[in-house]
Amino acid sequence: MRTAISGIGLCGGFGTGIEAFRKALETGERAKGTVTVRSEEGPFQGPAYLADTGPLDRFVERKALRRLDHFSKLALLAACLAYEDAGDPAWDRSKTGLVVASGYGPLTTTFAFLDSFIESGDKFSSPTPFSHSVHNAALAQVSMRLGITGPGLTVSQFEMSVPSALLTAWTWLEEGRVDSLLFGAVDEYNEVLGYCWHRLFGPWGDDLKPLDFQRQTAVPGEGAVFFLLADAEKIDRPPYAYVERVRLGRGPYEPASLPQEACLVLGADGHKGCGSYYRPLLGRSYPVLCGTPSYGSFPAGAAFDVAAAALMLKEGKITASCWHSGTVSKGCPLEGRPLCCLKMGPDGEWGEILLTPWKGKDD
Amino acid sequence: MTLKERLKQVIVEGLNLEEIRPEDIEDEAPLFGDGLGLDSLDAVELVVLLEKHFGVEVKNMDEGRAAFQSINTLVKFMEERGAR
Amino acid sequence: MKEGVPVAVTGMGCLSAAGDDLSSSMESVFRGVRSPAPPRRFSSSHPLTYPVFEVADDLEGWGGGQDLSRTARLALKAAHEALTRSGWNKKDLASLRVGVCLGTTVGSSLNSEEFYRLYLRGENPDLSPITRFLRSNPAAVLAREFGLNGPCQTVVNACSSGTDALGIASRWIRAGLCDVVLAGGADELSHVTYNGFISLMITDEAPCRPFDRERKGLNLGEGAAIMVLEGEEWRKRRGKAAEAFILGYGASCDAYHLTAPHPEGRGLKQALLEALRLSRTAPEDLAFVNAHGTGTKDNDRAEALVLQDLLPGVPFLSTKGYTGHTLGAAGAVEAVFTAACLQAGRIPKSIGFLHPDPELPCSPVSQVMEVKGKAALSQSLAFGGQNSVIVIGKGETNP
Repeated sequence: MRTAISGIGLCGGFGTGIEAFRKALETGERAKGTVTVRSEEGPFQGPAYLADTGPLDRFVERKALRRLDHFSKLALLAACLAYEDAGDPAWDRSKTGLVVASGYGPLTTTFAFLDSFIESGDKFSSPTPFSHSVHNAALAQVSMRLGITGPGLTVSQFEMSVPSALLTAWTWLEEGRVDSLLFGAVDEYNEVLGYCWHRLFGPWGDDLKPLDFQRQTAVPGEGAVFFLLADAEKIDRPPYAYVERVRLGRGPYEPASLPQEACLVLGADGHKGCGSYYRPLLGRSYPVLCGTPSYGSFPAGAAFDVAAAALMLKEGKITASCWHSGTVSKGCPLEGRPLCCLKMGPDGEWGEILLTPWKGKDD
Repeated sequence: MTLKERLKQVIVEGLNLEEIRPEDIEDEAPLFGDGLGLDSLDAVELVVLLEKHFGVEVKNMDEGRAAFQSINTLVKFMEERGAR
Repeated sequence: MKEGVPVAVTGMGCLSAAGDDLSSSMESVFRGVRSPAPPRRFSSSHPLTYPVFEVADDLEGWGGGQDLSRTARLALKAAHEALTRSGWNKKDLASLRVGVCLGTTVGSSLNSEEFYRLYLRGENPDLSPITRFLRSNPAAVLAREFGLNGPCQTVVNACSSGTDALGIASRWIRAGLCDVVLAGGADELSHVTYNGFISLMITDEAPCRPFDRERKGLNLGEGAAIMVLEGEEWRKRRGKAAEAFILGYGASCDAYHLTAPHPEGRGLKQALLEALRLSRTAPEDLAFVNAHGTGTKDNDRAEALVLQDLLPGVPFLSTKGYTGHTLGAAGAVEAVFTAACLQAGRIPKSIGFLHPDPELPCSPVSQVMEVKGKAALSQSLAFGGQNSVIVIGKGETNP
């Protein structure tokens, strides 16, 4: 049994779908959106990677979306795109699992529920935003719309949400609890989050420099990415890559366990607080890549790292928008090297996701 | 605006019925299930909307179920409870 | 999927309105007493008051001076009891791969009213509610407290989180990913969820009455429960008897509605059958079922239909009459109660139940009952249509 990625669906600041994502990785284009947050010095306008869920109209009629918030729409769009990208395989959805990772959950709806009663009184509490503010609301919408009735899991663990959730997703596939699994991550930008960001980190610009660990260069972002995973034998077309292993730990990360030729794909996204944990990983024998300037800084971004790695493995060449090593450069062929995505948290906790290339029909 | 017209507007806006105009809602058509197609979550939301916009209280869903049959039954219910 | 190997539980900790620890909880449920009351930790402007089940302890002593959420403190207290009973100390655990898997709802919600109210008024509030939130992820709190370096996961599956966390953690042990896992759930009472459930019109102004003809809804509660799950290699090496076993876990999605369960319990049936199959348990092997039993019309109806269909004649009860609905902690609290009742060979009455409902095909037990049998089942149904079922095996010692 080898878990493979058969389809990827994404939406983020770069747009929607795998083609837009590839282009963003190649050009390293900066955040195109703008947000305004309150600050003590007056309104601050800053760049942000904002996602548009308009393309969801292609999959779901408007009427059915009337109660969905932005958070659930992001997830639903990426989930629909993942199935489409995989060729809409006719797999048994009662044996399909659904796992979603989110750093902060549906923030805007959480505050919308508070809005309903905080000034006008408790009896005006509005049940619609309340029921959509539970963190598993996105999973519920995806399961209802796509008819997925296998086991479900939503994980909320800030920066570690993605590797933590993927670990359990991987075990469910490996033990045969499910035959296929839709794994996704979603986080949304929100005005209150922007306000707290400004208070904690100060104003920000659009030049996300993830490998410049001494500086705070993070740029807020949002988006969703979903992967359709299954045993490689079940997939009737070449998968993007294998998900070889997922590990979590705390304390110094030891790259000694990496396969010899692997490149590291760092989840560094411009936050100085995690910088000191990433810095020791540079300057060693393996190349280091990073794609975050193409999608921004948010917890679900760790799943975009995985999407970038999967895309590079499928195409066999490096497209990440920045890298650090003398031995590789953009456009350079990967030559069968595995890619290891590594996300560090502010307390030294780490999550590692190792992807290996599909080598052809006899693999 | 009559109470009925205001009610239809509150329903369309409060329940986010984007593609429907208030004047399109038929007075006798069922609100739930077939007809307008509202569900149990819309029902409890409607209770809060009635309180907020009209000062009308629905004590429980047994009361609600009877009142929410159609626009006409709902307007009658609201008038009996002194809707403002 | 092949049937699973039983996973040993070598320690349990639990607190809720029913008791500050496991033995006081068992003592009060078998006495058939409960103390729902109006909320004391927050005030509400609702015209009616709805009873809740609060933990009396203010938990100030937990967290070693860190500014942590109440949910995180509940988790710490329960974890402490569980580890003490397991015989593991922090030093020993440092050399093992120890994971943490906890369920929560409120514990992961950034819904500080004090902060948001000031923000809305255009002020610049103190950021400590935000930094507290960022430091209070329940699984991360336990990992930091005990210096644990294995997988860490906070499950936010609404009301089935606790059951799911136990099921997931048992898989981590079977897969050899961890030697030990602290697994369970924690959730505090909150003004926000109080308002939320009232707005859905599924709360009862009276103490809740699961499965009763007159039931009107749920009462909220708070609490935490942790099980220490352990791989056989370590357990045999130190000769520790198991307090219980996790025999199997089944889970599914209804894919039906955001707040209402599937009326025939379609997803629950799927999860229940899977849990039985994986644990190699037949219905006649079950001593009893700890139902989700919130006391709402819809939930209790769906569950009763499924229980009558798949497990006719198996006695069942809801312990939410003793604890209230503790949301992310519920599945864990109920799993611990299930394990303790199996050891005791008896179950308490399903408090709040007085009159059979003619619409339901079966009713829970109305008095303390002796039970035989080496296995029991605990099930949870969540918003979003998630269903989780766990089969628990009798342990080797008395707790």
